[in-house]
Amino acid sequence: MPIDNSPIQAHSGSKSRRGLPIFLTLAALVAVSMAALMTRPAAVVHGQGGACGANPCPVDPGPRPLPANAGNFYSALTPNQSAITTRLTQIFTEVNFVAGGPLVKTVGLGPRFNSNSCNSCHAYPAVGGSSPPNNPLFGIYQLEGATNTMPYFITSTGPVIVARFPYVPGTTTPDGGVHQMFTISNRTDAPGCTQEVQPNFTQAQSDNDIIFRQVTPTYGAGLVELIQESAIVANMNSNLTLKASLGITGHPNYSDDDGTINRFGWKAQQKSLIYFSGEAYTVEEGVSDEAFPSENDETYPSCLPPFPVPPGTNKTKGVPDDRNDTGEAPKLPVNFPGDLERFSLSMRFLAPPTPVAPTTSTANGFAVFQSVGCNLCHNVSFTTPSSPIAAVSNQTATLYSDLLVHDMGPGDADNVQQGNATGDQFRTAPLWGIGQRYFFMHDGRTTNIVQAIEDHMSMGNGIYPNSEANAVINNFNNLPTTIGSDGNTQAQDLINFLRSL
Amino acid sequence: MGTKNTKGIAMSLRTKNQVQAQLSKHKWLKAALPVALLLLVCAVATAYFPRSAKGGSTPTVTATDPGPRPLPANAGGFLPSLSNNEQQIEPSITTEFNRVHDVIVTSPTDGGLGPRFNSNSCASCHAYPATGGSSPPSNPLFSVYNYNGATNTMPFFETSTGPILEARFINVPGTSTPDGNIHQLFTVVGRSDAKGCSITQPDFTTASSTGNLVLRQVPPLYGDGLIEVVRNIDIINNMNSNLTVKATLGITGHPNYSGNDGSILRFGWKASVRSTLLMSGNQFNNEMGVTNELFPNEIDQTPGCVFNPVPETVTNFTPGILTEFFPDDRARTEYFTQWLAPPTPGPSTTQSKNGKTQFTNAGCVYCHTTSFKTPATSRPALGNITINLYSDLLVHHMGPGLADGLAQAGAGPDEFRTAPLWGIGQRLWFMHDGRTNNIVTAIEDHYSLGNSTYPASEANQSVTNFNNLNSTNQQDLVDFLRSL
Repeated sequence: MPIDNSPIQAHSGSKSRRGLPIFLTLAALVAVSMAALMTRPAAVVHGQGGACGANPCPVDPGPRPLPANAGNFYSALTPNQSAITTRLTQIFTEVNFVAGGPLVKTVGLGPRFNSNSCNSCHAYPAVGGSSPPNNPLFGIYQLEGATNTMPYFITSTGPVIVARFPYVPGTTTPDGGVHQMFTISNRTDAPGCTQEVQPNFTQAQSDNDIIFRQVTPTYGAGLVELIQESAIVANMNSNLTLKASLGITGHPNYSDDDGTINRFGWKAQQKSLIYFSGEAYTVEEGVSDEAFPSENDETYPSCLPPFPVPPGTNKTKGVPDDRNDTGEAPKLPVNFPGDLERFSLSMRFLAPPTPVAPTTSTANGFAVFQSVGCNLCHNVSFTTPSSPIAAVSNQTATLYSDLLVHDMGPGDADNVQQGNATGDQFRTAPLWGIGQRYFFMHDGRTTNIVQAIEDHMSMGNGIYPNSEANAVINNFNNLPTTIGSDGNTQAQDLINFLRSL
Repeated sequence: MGTKNTKGIAMSLRTKNQVQAQLSKHKWLKAALPVALLLLVCAVATAYFPRSAKGGSTPTVTATDPGPRPLPANAGGFLPSLSNNEQQIEPSITTEFNRVHDVIVTSPTDGGLGPRFNSNSCASCHAYPATGGSSPPSNPLFSVYNYNGATNTMPFFETSTGPILEARFINVPGTSTPDGNIHQLFTVVGRSDAKGCSITQPDFTTASSTGNLVLRQVPPLYGDGLIEVVRNIDIINNMNSNLTVKATLGITGHPNYSGNDGSILRFGWKASVRSTLLMSGNQFNNEMGVTNELFPNEIDQTPGCVFNPVPETVTNFTPGILTEFFPDDRARTEYFTQWLAPPTPGPSTTQSKNGKTQFTNAGCVYCHTTSFKTPATSRPALGNITINLYSDLLVHHMGPGLADGLAQAGAGPDEFRTAPLWGIGQRLWFMHDGRTNNIVTAIEDHYSLGNSTYPASEANQSVTNFNNLNSTNQQDLVDFLRSL
């Protein structure tokens, strides 16, 4: 049967599940059954009793084509806010050099980095989004003479993924941090820096000590950060009987700082857009900033600022590479807000994706989405409280997430604990914008949205409990196989609904 | 393959151990409360009778604390080499740090207090010997808690001439679920600008009687902009220096690493905060209840108690003030904190010079590292400066006597950051909970034998060495500390 561009065989068992013998077996089984599903559409799926019985299995129509359904700033920005959006986009899309870049704000890359620009990865379907169809890292890793090799897990048409090591290599000490793929060694704009070496990802792979996370889109993030704790908790405590019958619990990932609910990142480990900007700038690009003022590797003095630069170009003077410019602007404060502040404003001002107008099929699909129980985690919407930032004040955020973390079972578990999100717990990923999304799940393991749904199912083992989604996936798989008046099965309607977002 | 399973099991065991640690901690605290009280009595006794030696060692402690050096303040100025433009905004950031916040926001730069708060101004607590410092001689909370009609009662642990203390709960009250958060002392209830709000103060008495209450005093902010740019690798290299001596003294210590970027956290009693930026946002919401772009959600959202749109301080886009837009209050307090110069030590004397030698001889210096040098910085005023902070910026086991039962990131329940000593010449209270105003007692309080829950304090041998110094050397060491 024609599940389009499915990378199922390529992906199953190749990532986080590697080395878990039980899961490997399970994964292999799933892979075999999926392969069977692909080649023999009449086969019963997953032993669940015939979602694809005599009728067509649901098919992912694939991402909706461009133009993008996202990437615009709010139309309700004040004139003064609107006036700076061009500059915000410029900063978000700027390419950072190590030193000597064309602009004062485009220096500070490395010593280690995953990419050289926010927009290279937050790219699709428009600036601020997620992985584009063609992996941008191939245009970056050897830029300016860098001698990086491409890690085995990055493919030219695969998702941008970053690597974390659950344990410090060779030990049982928890690590969990991002290990940047590339270094600035031998770049012409890092004169004298030759010693930095890339992490040994192959060794980490053979030690079963590597996990991956893909790029999350940032549209609508300004709404997400404002949603009230009380609303999140009230939603968590709603429909408890129904949730219990489906095995759904979930809990917030609370901030160690002020005890409020964190909400960004695959494990909801991040509190706010400033926090996120600060972390991402230094972790992903190696541009140290005022939130995290350290260079991400201080081993080799020759790979740290300041670097010698040609006359007339700009240089890094030292740490942090990026800061609010209170000191040097000829006229205070042309450059006052640093990139970090601008990134956070940029994301705060980016409107959510716009869904397509409902059709009979997508309207039916939305009903099915609720009847099978997807919405009990993928909570349809929250309303933001009153805010002095008018564009995000008292808005309905139709994000399809409860902003809680849930046990997702061994199949998704990545063994990294962040805050109180444990090794198998993930934030309910917001679904707005997935109509144009290319890659799904935290590690971007599939481009097929039907497969992504199935990947929510995972039986527990001695380490992790069952996925909280299991009963809902069963419901999905057990949907009636009859063709409705709209010409589709209910399962297909649901898929069509998701691709309309 | 088996490796991963082992690791997975190890992880779940770790989690279980943490839970057990929490539980046993809880029990331990119940059992240890009388012991703690006894220790407190001892500490007080030591303060009054400095000759009574503590810590199980035989020597006599003869040194006396000359007390804090009198004003004028040895701190409170901004870094001397800030640029002209930076100096131009010094008044603005100082105003912001001093601002008294009321509940209602009426302009981009005021209001936002509550619904829960510890105080209504940064400067009320960060007050002595000058703005940016620590607790003043008279507890300012006594003029804050009933301000503007508020009906708060004063928690039992605050005294009018004691240190300002804030409270954390180890576990969520009545449960064994780890908590660790700050529980603000006061609410806005009763204030004329908070009509209709009805919430109650936390039950600190019950928390105390169940061993669930942790108290922390106010750390000074001077020189924080320099501390935040110290290289991680310099901290590590210092940690790995003098290992033989440290081993003989029982000193280890380790960094508290950030879960965000893997760098070394360095602010707060347990080194739980990375930067002045993150600290400013955290403090705005935690201490005053002023939501900001970093922490935009009210800690208590009880209907009737949320009076302002959130966040309560935001980047100001009003044209005319500045070219593009202007930082919010949070950012301004960040710069106030970042740009404060370190305290200036008093003049060096023969005694204080010898005291510094004894400080080294006794082994104090192996945790209270004399200095670090800041790297080149993008804000030139902060770069390439030797900072005499007297801290290794690591956390160390301090034994049951100081343990507060609260883990923060990689700092265990009995681990604390080596408190920087710069400025202690004018400091009024010592130790994380401000338990003493006597610096000799503070030294002795570093001594604590291990028990079944916590290992011995890493400072034990150094304190014993101090106790073994002759009376001149002891006094010189104390005088040296009071010269800082």
